[in-house]
Amino acid sequence: MSERLLAYTDKLSAKPGDLIQVKVSSPHSGKYRARLVRMICGDDSADGPGFKTEPVKGVAESEHAARFQPVPLGSYAAIKDRKGFALASFSLAAFIWPTRLDKGEAQCILGNWDAANASGYALYLDAQGRIALRVGESAPVTLEAPLLSRHWYRVAASFDAKSGRVTLAAHRQLPYAGNPQRQIARGKAAASTAANRFLIAAWNDGAKVTAHFNGKIDSPAVYAKAQPIEALLLPPGSRGALTPRQAVAAWDFARDIPGTAVIDRGPKRRNGQTVNLPTRAMTGWNWNGTEMNWVHKPEHYGAIHFHDDDLYDCGWETDFTLRLPKTLKSGIYCLHLTQGDLEEWTPLFVTPPKGKATAKLAFLVPTASYLAYANHQMSTSWHFDELSSSRFTTFSQADLYMEEAGSLGLSTYDLHNDGSGVCHSSYLRPILNMRPKTDLWQFNADTHITDWLEAKKLPYDIITDEELERDGVAALKRYACVITGTHPEYYSERMLDGVQDYTNHGGRLMYLGANGFYWRIAWHPKLPGVIEHRRSEDGMRAWWTETGESYMEFTGEYSGLWRRNGRPPNMLAGVGFSAQGFDVASWFDRMPGSNDPRAAFIFKGVGQNERIGDFGSVGGGAAGWELDRADAALGTPPHALILATANEFPASYHWVKEEFNHSHSAVNGDTCPMVKADLVFFETPKGGAVFSASSISWAGSLAHNGYDNNVSRITENVVRRFLEAKPL
Amino acid sequence: MLSIDPTRTDLCEEFKRQPAGRHSADLHRLLDLMRWGYARGKTIILCTVPHKEWRLAKMGPRRGSKVQVDNSRVFHDHDDAVWACFRARWKEMTGRDCPVE
Repeated sequence: MSERLLAYTDKLSAKPGDLIQVKVSSPHSGKYRARLVRMICGDDSADGPGFKTEPVKGVAESEHAARFQPVPLGSYAAIKDRKGFALASFSLAAFIWPTRLDKGEAQCILGNWDAANASGYALYLDAQGRIALRVGESAPVTLEAPLLSRHWYRVAASFDAKSGRVTLAAHRQLPYAGNPQRQIARGKAAASTAANRFLIAAWNDGAKVTAHFNGKIDSPAVYAKAQPIEALLLPPGSRGALTPRQAVAAWDFARDIPGTAVIDRGPKRRNGQTVNLPTRAMTGWNWNGTEMNWVHKPEHYGAIHFHDDDLYDCGWETDFTLRLPKTLKSGIYCLHLTQGDLEEWTPLFVTPPKGKATAKLAFLVPTASYLAYANHQMSTSWHFDELSSSRFTTFSQADLYMEEAGSLGLSTYDLHNDGSGVCHSSYLRPILNMRPKTDLWQFNADTHITDWLEAKKLPYDIITDEELERDGVAALKRYACVITGTHPEYYSERMLDGVQDYTNHGGRLMYLGANGFYWRIAWHPKLPGVIEHRRSEDGMRAWWTETGESYMEFTGEYSGLWRRNGRPPNMLAGVGFSAQGFDVASWFDRMPGSNDPRAAFIFKGVGQNERIGDFGSVGGGAAGWELDRADAALGTPPHALILATANEFPASYHWVKEEFNHSHSAVNGDTCPMVKADLVFFETPKGGAVFSASSISWAGSLAHNGYDNNVSRITENVVRRFLEAKPL
Repeated sequence: MLSIDPTRTDLCEEFKRQPAGRHSADLHRLLDLMRWGYARGKTIILCTVPHKEWRLAKMGPRRGSKVQVDNSRVFHDHDDAVWACFRARWKEMTGRDCPVE
């Protein structure tokens, strides 16, 4: 397997004077060196502005002992109490909806089994996908036939220590001809009363946690005696079923859905905690379509979907701490770690001191969008990846590492190993595509903007999505002008409100990208550094939510497109996502709006018939990758000026699917007039304004010809006017 | 319908001349067929030195398995690697060598 030096920090965004914890893993022992640099441009390609960093005064280079730290993939729930589950006789029951029966390894449903010393007990799926029970060192008792994937089953087991009798059963919710709905097996075992950790969706292997379950578990319960199997198979709450009061523990996953607690409704309150954020607010065994929002009927959302590749927090030990100088200038910084031939660049976004602005201009770094894409493995998640990109799959060394390692935690663009969509993404792990010297996408593409700001000697502060989420408009209102990144795609309600309040109260927004303000996300209200997204209803979706699972567990909000939440991007930016393609980029032609006197300042020094941006390091043009267009029907303000339009795109560009309600073939650049980008300007209340570039590749053209080109000129004309106090 | 016509050397030559951008309708259709479905199991491109060196490769059966790298050829131009990948896919889909070198 390829090797990497890996690191992450406890914070992604920090302010001068903050203490940063740095967590590092190396495949080798020995020492690695660490230094902090200011990142100007991360594009190391021959076509770009060049890789540029600056040294940082006041932070000494340091050397540290290298060590390996593992990535603990897989979610589960751990119950705090152990002794209560050290039972001679017991019964276990749960509803399950298994999703990876072909894994070829054991997947534990619940129990306190420890594989390291063959003690305790567990109800689990065996390597053949059959329900099994094992007790201590006894041979497992197993049902005859494997279960069916993505079907609800009631599964149960009882064990009587005195007789040694094991009874095991699975009852499928759906009847099929020729496929028995119920299986029962009987066998013998000897008791094992070790007080191991009690886990749901995994088992112990000494101190490690293994045998992660893939799929949903609903209403797991433990009883102290060998209960009749017929009673165990009855759904909770039905006549003759066992009650929580009779239970050692009976967990109700419909409680504390936004949190990490698993709540026991039994008399001893044997609560636990989920680990690595399995997906909650999942439709349960009894969901019947009468309610789509878990907030309104949580009793139908008593399932948690566990995955063997969930990851919230690597939980690595801190290798060293770094105190940021109190005088550190706001900007993008990177920890540069080196060990022999290995190197790692870990970004850190340094804001100004709290409550202060040190420039009139802010660069709003779209860290939520960086997280949405963090460590994506689209080429193995998507069957349509090459058709979408019009390229053969091309692995970078980072892609190679993640493919061979299995994962470093997935992105919201991916499918879990069981084929279900990934809803969570955090920064408490190394993120290989949020680095300089990577593809020109998100983080690295956005350094074309910092590079240009530095080249034009335009002082700027860094504000990230975390400050926007925390402070709302207060994070922006000190600035005359706010510049976005190239692809600020993922917005929570508070973030969107913050930017909208800013432009509604005299702020000037330069949206230097495309497909922004598109998807609705939530930040976790308590856990740091993690977002949630559900790909509901419509849009250019990497995957789609299961029916009834479109409301986010963190907040209860409906996820999916902002357009489907009543706030199309056009309402804020004047434009919204129209098309995408990833093989070549195009240019803009001036439109009549560019000759409106209101736009004269924008086109100062630009010829009437000049093609705008028929050059650049991202696809060879300023109009490319993802494109936005104006549309009054979607909320583009009536006075917005369409300054320029790009509409020369090949068939590799595709119209976004939320814009057509019926399938047909005229949906690409060769055939569809909606495949275009509109450069737009409009004034906002109280002297504010919005300029939208409407193209992800716009920033890739800024540096062309030593920053002397019409994309750079238009951008500079706008930013210098937007920084003036005079109302627009 | 859903197959590649192995006699269409003109389409190979068109792709070799211009691997990205506007293509004829027939080449577009051919590339859609080549790119349909998961890349796992098909020839892909691996960048072995950023911006400088590429090789052909194939992913293993699932995430977590080793990628098989074809070290017999090293490409120093990205378009050369793309062309080699096209030729490999042609053979994978038609069972015949691509008629254009």
